[in-house]
Amino acid sequence: MSTKEEKKRIELLQGTLDLLILRTLLLGPAHGHAIAKAIEFRSDDVLQVEQGSLYPALHRLIKRRWISVREGTSENNRRAKFYGLTAKGRRQLVVETSKWDKLAVAIARILRPAEPGAEQEGKP
Amino acid sequence: MNRRKRMLNDLDQDIRDHIELETQDNIAHGMSPEEARYAALRKFGNVTRVQEETRAVWSSAWLEQLLQDIRLGLRTLPKSPGFTAVAILTLALGIGANTAIFSVINGVLLSPLPYKNPDQLVVIKEHDSLPNVMDIQRQTRAFSQGGGINVDKMDYIGASEPVQVRVGSVNAGFLETLGVQPMLGRIISPGEDVQGGPRLAMVSNYFWQNYLGSDPHAAGDTIQLGGNSYTVICVMPASFALPAEHADVFVSLVVRDPRAGAERDLHFMHTYWRLREGVTLAQAQADIAAIDRRLAEQYPADEKERKSQLVPLHEWLVGDVRSALLVLFGAVGLVLLIACANFANLLMMRAVAERQELVIRAALGAGRGRLIRKTLTESLLLSVFGGLAGLLFAKWGTSLLLALRPEELARLSGIHMDTRVLLFVLVVSVLTGVVFGMAPAWIAAGVDVAEALKESGRSTTASTMGHNIRKILVTSEVAVAVVLLVGAGLLIKGFSRLRSMNPGFNSANVMTMYLQLPTTRYREIPKQTQFRRELLTRLNSLPGVQAAMVTDIPLGGNYVGHRFVIDGRPPVAVGGEPKVQTLSVMGDYFHVMQIPLRVGRDFTPLDREKQPLVAVVNEEMVREFFPHESPIGARIRWAGDTGPPQWMTVIGVVADVRHSGLHQPTDPAVYTPFSQSDEGWRRFMTLAIRAPDTSPGLVEEVKKQIWSVDSLIPVSDVHAMDELIAVSLAQQRFNMLLLGLFAVLALILAAVGIYGAMAYAVNQRTHEIGIRTALGAQRRDVLRLVMKDGTKIALFGIASGIAGALALTRLMASLLFEVKPTDPATFAAVTILLALVALAACYIPARRAMRVDPMVALRYE
Repeated sequence: MSTKEEKKRIELLQGTLDLLILRTLLLGPAHGHAIAKAIEFRSDDVLQVEQGSLYPALHRLIKRRWISVREGTSENNRRAKFYGLTAKGRRQLVVETSKWDKLAVAIARILRPAEPGAEQEGKP
Repeated sequence: MNRRKRMLNDLDQDIRDHIELETQDNIAHGMSPEEARYAALRKFGNVTRVQEETRAVWSSAWLEQLLQDIRLGLRTLPKSPGFTAVAILTLALGIGANTAIFSVINGVLLSPLPYKNPDQLVVIKEHDSLPNVMDIQRQTRAFSQGGGINVDKMDYIGASEPVQVRVGSVNAGFLETLGVQPMLGRIISPGEDVQGGPRLAMVSNYFWQNYLGSDPHAAGDTIQLGGNSYTVICVMPASFALPAEHADVFVSLVVRDPRAGAERDLHFMHTYWRLREGVTLAQAQADIAAIDRRLAEQYPADEKERKSQLVPLHEWLVGDVRSALLVLFGAVGLVLLIACANFANLLMMRAVAERQELVIRAALGAGRGRLIRKTLTESLLLSVFGGLAGLLFAKWGTSLLLALRPEELARLSGIHMDTRVLLFVLVVSVLTGVVFGMAPAWIAAGVDVAEALKESGRSTTASTMGHNIRKILVTSEVAVAVVLLVGAGLLIKGFSRLRSMNPGFNSANVMTMYLQLPTTRYREIPKQTQFRRELLTRLNSLPGVQAAMVTDIPLGGNYVGHRFVIDGRPPVAVGGEPKVQTLSVMGDYFHVMQIPLRVGRDFTPLDREKQPLVAVVNEEMVREFFPHESPIGARIRWAGDTGPPQWMTVIGVVADVRHSGLHQPTDPAVYTPFSQSDEGWRRFMTLAIRAPDTSPGLVEEVKKQIWSVDSLIPVSDVHAMDELIAVSLAQQRFNMLLLGLFAVLALILAAVGIYGAMAYAVNQRTHEIGIRTALGAQRRDVLRLVMKDGTKIALFGIASGIAGALALTRLMASLLFEVKPTDPATFAAVTILLALVALAACYIPARRAMRVDPMVALRYE
């Protein structure tokens, strides 16, 4: 099934899709397809988002009231749902981003213990 | 919830749009349409899975888990059929009995009356006369409408044989007050409700169907009532019924009987009033009091003592039944409590027995909340099934109640399972499941995993705690059973007192029937006397028959009272004279009814018209008015007579008769001969016939004799005297039977509870008992060991039950007849009964304990 092209793409870690959606919407409201395209485009097509998985994530965010939805018209004049960040979502993005940063640093330290940045942080 | 619905509804469309957009992107990138669509679908992934996952986002986790628990419960419960059946049956009994009583309460006390704006309807407790009713109608500021009615019987010629129909004599305004719209025709107008007005009849739907052939053009027909022609002007809808009485024809009182209608002191109408919008009962009461004062000033002779009391119609109708129903509801609630205690006990035993399973679940990571929820779900499932089974019991129980119902519960006919009853069952079932499933759930949650696994299943903290709760539950069961048994015992004792009451006459072998002479042909007293005498002569010539007549037969529901004056006593203000019950008799009445003569002589055939006026009084009359002298020879007369005083000489004293019911006190009474009575309106009489054989054949023979004197006299209300006594006891019998039934139910449930708890305890202690026996304990010691526990529970339960009963039985004082709510004999009997039952319930498990084989017990694991 897998093609060459797909092999160089990376599967998303669980939960990171929520973060990516929030970050994407920081630029302004967008409809579902546009969000998927934006994530692919901004990651230089490295991140492989199975587009369908966007929908459970969007619904999860709506349920938590991190994003809101309103009706609008897409670029080709179709009715579509536009998703936008709520104030709560904005705050959550900050929290999630800093969490992600910490996680990334911690994992990087484990994977490359020799790096100077990690040593600096490890010592009190 | 709304967000959820909106989002999910659009999901399919959103997904289609998404794939469409992607396809077009792909086409824009140079793919063929087919290729583009294919790529878009591949990139999107499995559409069905996406939909499922999206839905899962919204479905709450607890709901899923609840469904899981319910499925688990439905799978596991049938695996222990004994436990499940006993638990459901216990609850079904409790909930069923409660539902049956609740549906009665719902039908009688809670449902609104079937009239327009029934909350505005009130009655004046006291009967009143037509002139007064019309004065109130004119003067009132509190009532928008009002009117009076008196129901009696008139003969109706036109059916296959002469019949009597119940006729409501009303005034204009009465039917409007109840807010009834005729099905055909129109209601009588005030202009027609005047002296000499046209004879108009308004008939019930029943009358229309049975006597007018359901003719849609019946309005305008002429019917023969009481010897006069009446024109039918309307037919009532089938749904219409009077609040308290029954009548098939309505006529104007003043048209039908101008004389009675004009008498201000003839208080015989029962009046209904409708409060004006926004007027309170207190305001209306003040209004009627002011009118009373004016009438008393205007007519001091007749109306001096006026004191009209307003009562809301609904309260007036259910007044007597209310307290009985509430006591029954309380009692049946206690039965439910016992059932619930048994239920909780069962659940707890099961929780302890399933400890091993719970421990494993806990060890595998099930949270405390999850364990509680699993146990609660199980108890809820059981209680809901119990509720459903209870509904079946209730359906059966309600029809039983309907079969037993006394006359006073006439509104019971409207009883059925409505939404309120179903809601009641639901609430009771769920509350039972949650509240009584709580304790076992806590035990489940209290499982200490490490401790439990170490001990590999001997007694744990959880089961000790359960043991204490179980003891408390069984003790309370016994206590509640004591309360119920005491209540039932008091009612039974009161009822047997009532049954053994001497009514003052001998009811055996006496038939009674009611006759009324038509106004037109029997207006004159001599004519009436002639008919009576002729009839009695014929009846008494029948072999073995003794016949007499009286105005109102005891327990027949009719009563006439008059004010009277004693010769030689200081004069009393007009209108303030004492009142006595007044009866006319003809023939050997006291002999036929076997009412003993105490002093003086009985009436003889010589005490007749144109002879000195005589009277016989009862003992109560002597006690009240002649306490220190012999009444024989005293002279009395009716108050308010005009013309020369008509003195009657007292010639004898007879024993008291309980006229209005065995539980009602006797009023002073005066008997006079029919032939000396000058009240021409008294055209009715009740035959009292004593015969060795009171079969229907006798009734037919009597009817034949009546019709051979006058073929147009209707006969009604044919009853054996024994039957009248049974009817008068119906309400008490009803209360006693129901409360007795509940008490027996309570006793059985409590016995099962004690037995279950003791049997379980013995089972748990088999090991310990085995060790004791091995160490030399005798069977007697083992017996004592087990019985000690049971006896303690029983004694505590009985003691607290007696305390509870002392506090609660006061509430039923109004239902008791000549029994104090604290009757020591009843309390003692109940104590002994319960102690015996409790001991028996302990003894069976104790015997099993005695037979424990130490070898087996020690191996028992």
